[in-house]
Amino acid sequence: MTPEIPRDNPRQGKADALPVLVEGGGAAGITACLDLAAAGRRVHLVESTAVLGGQVLRLDKIYPTDHCAFCPLWTDIRRLREAPEITVHLLSRVVSLEASAEGSLATIVTRPPFIAPERCISCGRCADACPPEAARPLGEHVYPSSFCIDEGLCNCCGCCVGVCPTAAIDLERKEERQTLKIGKAIRATGFREAELSPLPEFGYGTHPDIMTSLEFEAWTAEAGRNGGSIVRKSGGGKPANIAFIQCSGARDDRLLPWCSAVCCMHALKQASWVKRRDPGIDCWIFYTDLRTVGRDYYAYSLRATEGAGVRLVRGRPGLVHPLPGGDGIAVKFEDTMTQKREIRRFDMVVLNGNLRPAVGDGYPVDGAAQDNACGFAAEPADVAQSACQGSSAALKIMIGGGEGPCRA
Amino acid sequence: MPGVIAILCRCCGQIEPAVDLQALRERIGREAGVVSVEFRDSLCLPEDGAAIVKAVESSGADRILLAACSPYGKAGDVVSALCARGIDRSRVRLVDIREGCAWIHRGDQTGATAKACDLLCMGLGFLRYGGCSTDAVVAVRPECLVAGAGSAGLAAAVSIARAGFQVHLVERAAEGGGMLKLISRVYPTDVEAAEKLRPYLEEVERNPRIAFHPKTRVVSATGFAGDFKVRLASVTGDVNVRVGAVILATGAGVWLPRGLYRYGELKEVLTLMELERRQREGKTAAKRSVFIQCVGARCPERPYCATMCCPSSIKNAVLLRKADPDAEVTILYRDIMTPGHILERYYRSALEAGVRFIRFDPAQPPVVSGDGHVERVEVFDAISGVKREIETDQVVLSTPLVANADNAKLSELFHVPLDGYGFFREDYSLHPLETRQGGIFICGSARWPVSSAEAATQGEGAAMKALAILGRKEISALSLSRLPEGKLGHARIEDGACSGCGNCVAVCPYDACTLQRVGGAFVSRANKMRCRACGSCTAVCPNGTVQMPEHNARAVGAMIRRAFAEGDAG
Amino acid sequence: MNAHGMTDKTTTPRVLVFACRWCALVGADAAGRGRADLPASFRVIPVECAAMVEPDSVLRALASGADGVAVMGCHLGGCRFNDANHVALKRMEALGDLLDTVGIGRRRLLLSFGAAHEGRQFTEVLGAFFRELAPLPSLAAWRKTLLNQPSFR
Repeated sequence: MTPEIPRDNPRQGKADALPVLVEGGGAAGITACLDLAAAGRRVHLVESTAVLGGQVLRLDKIYPTDHCAFCPLWTDIRRLREAPEITVHLLSRVVSLEASAEGSLATIVTRPPFIAPERCISCGRCADACPPEAARPLGEHVYPSSFCIDEGLCNCCGCCVGVCPTAAIDLERKEERQTLKIGKAIRATGFREAELSPLPEFGYGTHPDIMTSLEFEAWTAEAGRNGGSIVRKSGGGKPANIAFIQCSGARDDRLLPWCSAVCCMHALKQASWVKRRDPGIDCWIFYTDLRTVGRDYYAYSLRATEGAGVRLVRGRPGLVHPLPGGDGIAVKFEDTMTQKREIRRFDMVVLNGNLRPAVGDGYPVDGAAQDNACGFAAEPADVAQSACQGSSAALKIMIGGGEGPCRA
Repeated sequence: MPGVIAILCRCCGQIEPAVDLQALRERIGREAGVVSVEFRDSLCLPEDGAAIVKAVESSGADRILLAACSPYGKAGDVVSALCARGIDRSRVRLVDIREGCAWIHRGDQTGATAKACDLLCMGLGFLRYGGCSTDAVVAVRPECLVAGAGSAGLAAAVSIARAGFQVHLVERAAEGGGMLKLISRVYPTDVEAAEKLRPYLEEVERNPRIAFHPKTRVVSATGFAGDFKVRLASVTGDVNVRVGAVILATGAGVWLPRGLYRYGELKEVLTLMELERRQREGKTAAKRSVFIQCVGARCPERPYCATMCCPSSIKNAVLLRKADPDAEVTILYRDIMTPGHILERYYRSALEAGVRFIRFDPAQPPVVSGDGHVERVEVFDAISGVKREIETDQVVLSTPLVANADNAKLSELFHVPLDGYGFFREDYSLHPLETRQGGIFICGSARWPVSSAEAATQGEGAAMKALAILGRKEISALSLSRLPEGKLGHARIEDGACSGCGNCVAVCPYDACTLQRVGGAFVSRANKMRCRACGSCTAVCPNGTVQMPEHNARAVGAMIRRAFAEGDAG
Repeated sequence: MNAHGMTDKTTTPRVLVFACRWCALVGADAAGRGRADLPASFRVIPVECAAMVEPDSVLRALASGADGVAVMGCHLGGCRFNDANHVALKRMEALGDLLDTVGIGRRRLLLSFGAAHEGRQFTEVLGAFFRELAPLPSLAAWRKTLLNQPSFR
């Protein structure tokens, strides 16, 4: 149906037709890969987890559209997997990158999964046969769907190996190393959550209902174990109220001095969805500056607050502590706009803000733009910014230079 | 007419016993047009691909019916693999009898088998009447139009030229530079705006691939990805260009806060832009300054944050302090919008430089007063809970960028929608630079207010998207899709049957249908490059003239008729 | 069999589902992977977009043995074809009016936009539709009986 389209890129055929290495298969990385492939360049995409999609895929809904997170990504992931120009390395990481005269040598280490996705038919017999319940589906909305074995739970009993009808399971799988000759590299490794232990006042770990925002997202996801219902982790039942605490970890010299950029909108989104699913739950967002900078973000915040009744309190709580008996959590705060101090009981607390680049120690102190890093790896960024930056990083490789004429 | 091969996958025992595959085989074998029925234990394992192709070839069938698992799982990959081996996608029909049947009707073998039979017969009916769209191949013009020579447009133009393609850079002013010409320094580096612009402008001048059209506007545009015909008008005359891609980088406009905070009434109440001009001209000696944020922004008339006002005020505040360490500079704000790492440090540097920040509640805005000349600002300091009176020599109002007045016209010319504020709208939040029309991209403040650094990044990104088209000799209409398999098909309008009612024109989300005069009557024509195969037109056509061959009314009718045929136990 | 030749309603209603292959089919697929337990009396026709479903198809389905027709699309605002589903919703609601007017009843047409994209949701939406249709007379049986009346031969 589709005739073979000759690709005639004037830039191809030159010495820099070596493949590009993209580290990270999230929004920025996927965009960079697809752009490069569409322009005829070969790409090696190295992703550390077993699936593509990055952090966005782990979200339930995304702002400001309130769409399901996986749907927009899914088509791109399929395109990526089927593009002949792109080689995907899952469960892999780059261990060394050596520049040489004609490009670079990248050494990639891959830990193949116990269950080979290309042989798995998702029948589930391994899960039925697994005593420690280590075998499970890889995810609800991942492509391609496959089962996987949680190495942490696996006791190597081998019960699954025999029942698999396609001989997809090999518990002996060893690490594989390969060295690739590449041209340029793009770093799109995204973010991870930072440990909150340096900030004990937020009470993380002292009560099951004090969660980070990503934990809350998974707990309340439509595709998650509660099917979208908002219930307390400590013991069923719906919460009467939820406190969303912004900048817990961020804008704080003790942990992360920067602003994580995405958290204010993330909290507004989560609170909106709580209200949508159960208008009776009282949602409070404790913030310092409510950053609603992107397209339609401020209007979204108005719908959440004036529309759905999410409350805003300007102030960063000084103490989050389980109440005696464990039923409920005390949050001590000052509403800085009224100077009123209060200790209020909340049923759930969501800590938002502790996002840091997934790789490395943080951002360079002098704020210099990093070559070919894009998305959260370069600077806290939301999905739209990450996608733009992925395209921009791809472009810089296409025109053969690391820098545009002038970069800020 | 050769016929259909039906391949029934056992899915390694996942289909039986819920579905009686033998009964299924007998039923399908009786259907007219089925030349072969085969069982396989699996279709998706690496070793299966070649075997399936061999079975198809030796059966002599020209169409394939696959009874297997879900299209979202391995079966979808199987179909893609077959197509990669040269089999036309419209000749393969996948029927899900696992997730869609065996797995959800485990306790009812009779019902599940009847359903599977019905599903397969539906598939056969579809294969019998399903058609195949003819593709259209367009030669790509290796040139690009960039509308707007500000930060975004310059970055886009330079990028495309360096990639080896001709660029027509259109600018309505006499020179390039856009808003950077109006400001003194850019944040967060505090580099002089003219310095930032210089390399771009120099490249525009010396790079032979960039044709700069100053004092020029776009007055008409037709065509589609690969071949847009655009007419440019300037005082020296009109020029027609044909380009493969279009990048809209027309930036945003400035808004004046007439009637707010005594602007226009008191001397030395100025906008940020006016302050910038003074900075450029070196005329900034004000001992005491008060900046007021969110003037005319985040209000009912303009319910958005314009991104740049907080960092711009911080930039100017720090410059004032650096120029005169005794200067008193205060910023009155609602929220300080400096997200991220670099901008947060920028904010902190302002605190370290001695800029004073006072937060106010929008319900109690500051009051500017004076007699002829501004004298003071009263503000309720919300965080201290104290009313403050600040004596000042100048008041600087941070106003938002607003949509460029030209956007509406360009939106009409290029069929690119605007949002409620007048900025160009992207098609998909995950693809922020792509619009509803293939081949037309948006970037910079034309899309949404951004800093010049971010505008440049977006300009480069839009250039990258354009390169995907420009880098090819030809593009096919069916391949112009986000889906790896291409579009489902195209709308096809039966010659002679169209009554010219225009329903399809009205309903098409991509403006792919147009009414054209043929003979004495109006007839609809569907543009294959624009059509995205959503099927909206087919549903509103009163006489079924417009159809999508891959999903035409006869095929759908055949499916509907057979849906409950087997289940018709009487 | 009663005096009019109609059988008792012992079988589950027959439903033809037009499911857009984005949100809706994903839900059906998830119901499958979750091994939901559903009656075998429904069939799914995947469409590119709910906007592709012609009112004519719905009527034909009801005339060809379906007791009910479900049109499932993406949630409003989430259509990947530029809000084509909004148009589809309006069209289908108008069709509901027509069904009421001719005595078939709008209860036999289910419109679900964005409520069935997870397995559990698909199961619930379809289950509720089956319950809604259960007390209604079976169109297929009635049609068969009608066509078998001597006056029709």
